Amino acid sequence: MEGLKMDFLSSKALEDKSSIEKVSMIIERVKDGDILVLEGSLTPSEEAELIETTMREIDIENFVGIDIHTLEKDEKSFFGFSKKKTIGLTIIGPANVMKTVKKRSNFLSMIAKIGDSGASVH
Amino acid sequence: MNNFFKTLLDRLLRRRRKVKIGLYGHPNSGKTTLANTICEDWIGKPLGVISDIPHETRTVYKQEEVVIEKDGAKLYFDIIDTPGVATKVDYKNFLKYGLSEREAKERAKEATKGIIEAIKWLDDVTGVLLVMDSAEDPLTQANITIIGNLEARKIPFLIIANKIDLPESSADRISAVFPQHTVVPISALHRENIEQLYMEMVKRFR
Ligand SMILES: Nc1nc2c(ncn2[C@@H]2O[C@H](COP(=O)(O)OP(=O)(O)OP(=O)(O)O)[C@@H](O)[C@H]2O)c(=O)[nH]1
Ligand SMILES: [Mg+2]
Repeated sequence: MEGLKMDFLSSKALEDKSSIEKVSMIIERVKDGDILVLEGSLTPSEEAELIETTMREIDIENFVGIDIHTLEKDEKSFFGFSKKKTIGLTIIGPANVMKTVKKRSNFLSMIAKIGDSGASVH
Repeated sequence: MNNFFKTLLDRLLRRRRKVKIGLYGHPNSGKTTLANTICEDWIGKPLGVISDIPHETRTVYKQEEVVIEKDGAKLYFDIIDTPGVATKVDYKNFLKYGLSEREAKERAKEATKGIIEAIKWLDDVTGVLLVMDSAEDPLTQANITIIGNLEARKIPFLIIANKIDLPESSADRISAVFPQHTVVPISALHRENIEQLYMEMVKRFR
């Protein structure tokens, strides 16, 4: 069946996973063509690990890498002093599927491309 | 401080810790062009090959013992030119530059290895020039990941807003996106604002 699969993962679902488990779970799904929407963000070292793993997994014909987009949210600190930007959502998908992404500070719109992407399994 | 002691102190510090400045950033942002400008100015010869085809640099290149001298202050360092970092590498993008399919696939394969090598080198550099093409959107995952890792490791860095000679460039857009970091607008190709960059480097990395 052709179609676009999207997986939404709450921060709870990720919190007791190790970095390695998180990264391999993400890569596995993205290589299958899924788009992942995570609540929260990866740490910088997890991001680096994710890029490294992606590079190892790229196989020229079927998997050309990933696209990652994030949406920020303002988090007011307890006393309301500093407004810190934190990542609210992280969207990760196969680069040849996530085509057009329009992004403003609190809005993200994406067009996914299904079929004739060079990633089809035939 | 008097000059004699300053020189002595310089020597002592230099012996203790080697300064290794990595050039990081997207493919095609102008890292090697900048590395060549620096090396030509202070060593007298270029470092690497420049190309308008992305992923020209696919392995790390190093020039040891570069010395920048600015207003009597000296910065001793090794320069590390790294392959451009991206989250995807599609060989089809190389075909439009006239590469054959075989060449394009080979380039893509080498590019993925180069990106891994560049990331590994984050463990070794003591300072970074993060080179951005100021005609492009600066808010990309590669830039975010590099900055996040530099911050986490407390590695000092300067953001280089390169290609300010292009009419569609905007160094202000980069400053707006990364307001907490120093942004130095330059044109590595046309040597615009390079002296200012040397001053900032001596200030930041010495
Ligand atoms: N207009 C303009 N073009 C530049 C400037 N600096 C570099 N370029 C051009 O940008 C292209 C890429 O330059 P490189 O120095 O090879 O870029 P790089 O970052 O080393 O690229 P990779 O090795 O692929 O990661 C070349 O065509 C350069 O001539 C600049 O200041 N202005
Ligand atoms: Mg280069």
